[in-house]
Amino acid sequence: MTLRKPPMPRRLFEVGVHAVARLLPAASPSALGKVVRSGVGRRRLQSLVMALTTFATVTTAMLSLGLLTAVQAPFEHAFGARNGAHLAIQFSSSKVTAAQAAATAHAAGVTEAAGPYPIAAALDTTIGTDCAERAGSDNGPITVSTRPDLGSTSGMDQLALTRGHWPTGPGEIALPSQDFAADCFGDSVVFSSLPGKPSFKVVGFADSVTNSATGFLTADGFARLTAAGAKSDEQMLYRFAKAGTNADIATDKQAVAAAVPAGAVESGQSYLIAEQQATGNAKAYVPFLIGFGILGLFMSVLIISIVVSGAVASGIRRIGILKSLGFTPAQVARAYTAQAMIPATLGLVLGTVFGNLLAVPILGGATQQLGAAGAASATIPLWVSAVVPLGTLLIVGVTALIPALRAGRMPTVRALVVGRAPKAGGGQRAQRLASRLPLPRAMSLGLAQPFARPARTVLVGAAVLFGVVSVTFAVGLETGFNRYLDASTSGFNVASEFVEPTADVGVPWGRYGPNDPRDPHLDADKVAAALAEIEGTKAAFGWGDSGATMVGAPPGGETPEVFTTTGDFSWTGMELLSGRWYSAPGEAVVGDKLASAVGIHVGDDLTVVQQNKQLPLKVVGINFDTNVGDYTVMTDAATFTAAGLTPHIDQFNVELASNVNGAEWSTSAAAALTPLNASVQPNSDGGKNIVVLTMGALVATLTLMMMAVAALGVLSTVVQDTRERAHDLGIFKALGMTPKQTIAMVLTSVSLTGLVAGLIGVPLGVAVEKATLTPMGNAIGRHLPPSVTHTYTAGLLIPLLAGGIVIALLGALLPAGWAARTRTATALRTE
Amino acid sequence: MTNAPMIALQDATKKYDEGPPALAGVTLSVAAGECVAILGHSGSGKSTLLNLIAGLDKPSSGTVTVDGTRVDQLGEAGSAKYRRASIGLVFQFFNLLDDLTVLDNVMVPAQLAGMGKAEAKRRAVELLGSLDIDRHAKAYPQRLSGGQRQRVAVARALMNRPALLLADEPTGALDSSSAEDVRRLLLDLNAEGQTILLVTHDIQLAADTARRTIELVDGAVERDVVNHGSGAGPAARTPLTRPAGEAR
Ligand SMILES: Nc1ncnc2c1ncn2[C@@H]1O[C@H](COP(=O)(O)OP(=O)(O)OP(=O)(O)O)[C@@H](O)[C@H]1O
Ligand SMILES: [Mg+2]
Repeated sequence: MTLRKPPMPRRLFEVGVHAVARLLPAASPSALGKVVRSGVGRRRLQSLVMALTTFATVTTAMLSLGLLTAVQAPFEHAFGARNGAHLAIQFSSSKVTAAQAAATAHAAGVTEAAGPYPIAAALDTTIGTDCAERAGSDNGPITVSTRPDLGSTSGMDQLALTRGHWPTGPGEIALPSQDFAADCFGDSVVFSSLPGKPSFKVVGFADSVTNSATGFLTADGFARLTAAGAKSDEQMLYRFAKAGTNADIATDKQAVAAAVPAGAVESGQSYLIAEQQATGNAKAYVPFLIGFGILGLFMSVLIISIVVSGAVASGIRRIGILKSLGFTPAQVARAYTAQAMIPATLGLVLGTVFGNLLAVPILGGATQQLGAAGAASATIPLWVSAVVPLGTLLIVGVTALIPALRAGRMPTVRALVVGRAPKAGGGQRAQRLASRLPLPRAMSLGLAQPFARPARTVLVGAAVLFGVVSVTFAVGLETGFNRYLDASTSGFNVASEFVEPTADVGVPWGRYGPNDPRDPHLDADKVAAALAEIEGTKAAFGWGDSGATMVGAPPGGETPEVFTTTGDFSWTGMELLSGRWYSAPGEAVVGDKLASAVGIHVGDDLTVVQQNKQLPLKVVGINFDTNVGDYTVMTDAATFTAAGLTPHIDQFNVELASNVNGAEWSTSAAAALTPLNASVQPNSDGGKNIVVLTMGALVATLTLMMMAVAALGVLSTVVQDTRERAHDLGIFKALGMTPKQTIAMVLTSVSLTGLVAGLIGVPLGVAVEKATLTPMGNAIGRHLPPSVTHTYTAGLLIPLLAGGIVIALLGALLPAGWAARTRTATALRTE
Repeated sequence: MTNAPMIALQDATKKYDEGPPALAGVTLSVAAGECVAILGHSGSGKSTLLNLIAGLDKPSSGTVTVDGTRVDQLGEAGSAKYRRASIGLVFQFFNLLDDLTVLDNVMVPAQLAGMGKAEAKRRAVELLGSLDIDRHAKAYPQRLSGGQRQRVAVARALMNRPALLLADEPTGALDSSSAEDVRRLLLDLNAEGQTILLVTHDIQLAADTARRTIELVDGAVERDVVNHGSGAGPAARTPLTRPAGEAR
């Protein structure tokens, strides 16, 4: 050939190719094997492209599947092994008898049931004085239950003991490890909101896989609780025939409710919520990785088609010679398939290794740092390492086989006579049209080139298209993540300066818990008045965790926090998903995570309880939860005061006028605030959310891979084209085409394809992003506000539209340079 | 006519990787307006010589000067521009671009050189007319006979009014009547003053068109003789080429 050999790490690559070639049955030490090996050797660049493509695909697919299983597996495994309950329902003991509750085991759809077990929900606790370190600290609410055989290893919802032993006497309790400080193990927990303040010794750490309850007592122990004033209800656990989705569970729950008197069902908890809590934010990766996995798979199918059909097209003469030497069509097909299989095998072996290596930091980041349960093993399961490469190999084989079969069936005489690929007539009309354009001749010549080989153009266009779709998708996601982060850090985190109780300065957040008497609060009215007086204050509002909790919240996992606010916080950009902000006493706004976990809608009523005092609230809005990781309810401090509850204002967020210096303001504020036991703290922006950072890195890596593969597809096509057009290139150079003009011609030849691919790819990418972002939000239990989901602005879309051209030009640049250096004299020798 | 030769090779040698040199120390000089035929057996180095003069290849040693330009010292872009301006190339197998019409083929050299489309078209139509193939301007090369194709190739070669026309076996792929046609065309061109270097196996062609014959044997000039008796053909209808010896 007349093209200069491209520079390449040839030794290493060939060693790999030959090693793989020896392993393949098709490449046995026969004539066929030699043909295959020399084919791979001659088409070194194309082989490299195939190897890199399968490498990228396998890496992406490994990560996707690996993460999917690593995230889901621990919960699913535990749920299966411990025969977890699809639904736990709490019946009000004032409305049903234990026998009536037990009878619901025969409700429609129920396949298995357990209970009734006595249960007392959401009792506030503190740590006992015997744990000197944390004596009196808030320990959050606990839902307590008792069962005849706590340690049972048969039946439903088998409890797992991880430390200590099961309670054996009325003074002992077992709790999930995350519900009690490990260094206080063996000391007592106090049910602080019950009049009798009964206390129990924590003798075991144990949990239910679905958090059906978070404290386990003996029957005697439970009797002590009810004697001290706890309300006891009946809990039933169920498994259903159909329980895959939230809708299924809702139907099941209705069936159970229908079997008891109206209003008897106090609350129901789906295993899906527990799964949500167990798998955590890591699940957000899943839709996105599936998206990338599919794109990657399409991409490698395309690239392999491009390369193999290119090899067949330019090897027609060679095929003719092989057949005239006695190769059967099957042997020819096998030879061409093997030429793709060898580099592909190399690529997928490397991809499997690399995917496993990359999984360590990425799965680690996704599962451990995000708090997914059972994240001990940040490795890809073995079966994934087997299924992904084998599946890819199969797809590569089938993809390569199609053009290879065509090669096998090609009539020998035609192959020998034609010798070169026939010229397509489409090129002529395109050239005539292009020549009319007011472009430099070299460019108009290049512009028409793709039409000479429409099938190849469509393939390479598709490769660029997938590249553009990936980039658009990824950029959209990345922007969405960042918006999510911005939205997540709005609200309570927005301020120029914070004002805190002086006693809190330098103390870790939540040292004592909101109900601890030692937890300092601000005198809201006085601080607000003082702030209004200080020059430079533009706006300020106060807020705090009231220590109240919501009745009917799912036990286990996150505890709902009820925030009380005072003053206007509209300037913080806190965002509502539906409804409006509270404006009258008795109104509240619920965070979206809590709303979707419990099924709260605008217009619903809910009850919060503080120190055993109940307060009914009307939900007037659902807000995008700015307090990452928590279930929240927000209401005005005045609502609490009016009902005789105590609002807590622990912090004021202050917005300064634009020309005010923070340090100077603090100094002048100190005089007014110090007498109020309040201090100014500057707002030092917290670091970025780890989920967002990890996702950002993952998105960037995968996008670069996809872009590289798309560009490699272009590269391989342009190389193929320039080889076939070496003769024409020679003519052009003989007629005085300069290297620059040659480069311009080659680059123009791909830019139309790139442009069209960009124009089609961007809307597709947007659609893929739209289809992915919502499930991703749902996966982490969020409803994303428009500010997060409307990611594509004109400023983003316009550069994206050019993305296709950029990918095409990147891919064509190297071969364009090689084309410019084609040796003319030789190219012109033959016709 | 000026005294400086149009082509001057000084001890030009071309070696490929293996084997004896393709050209072994060729020294020769061609004056403007000459028509020189280069004869020799297959593999004697004729095409190599033409390639060196056209700047398509570089000598391993020695110098190649055309019209005052040291062709052997030109870079890639420089030699492309040099070819564009000074060289017209005609090949045995025409080397027309299959997906361009005859007219577009002829226009390409001028357009690559930056000539406006309208002007290039005017010139191309004029050339095609004077070569008597303007009927086929809109046709694609595959539809033409060999002789017609070679006429198109000649028209294309003349497009930028090159100082030098290089033809490598222009009749080698033609039947005898087409060959005759091309022979006459070259004669006409030379009569108008076009300097021509013609590689051929065709003794008749050499004898008819060239006043001077150079014979290569194993890459060296074996004979360099001036013919007698051959004359220029009838004057052309329009001047296709620049006047002989026009200074560049
Ligand atoms: N690119 C090349 N690489 C190696 N050797 C070459 C190359 N081009 C030409 N040669 C060799 O140089 C010598 C001269 O070749 P050249 O093409 O100039 O001969 P020619 O006289 O034109 O022959 P023909 O009449 O067959 O066209 C030959 O031996 C040829 O094999
Ligand atoms: Mg030759």
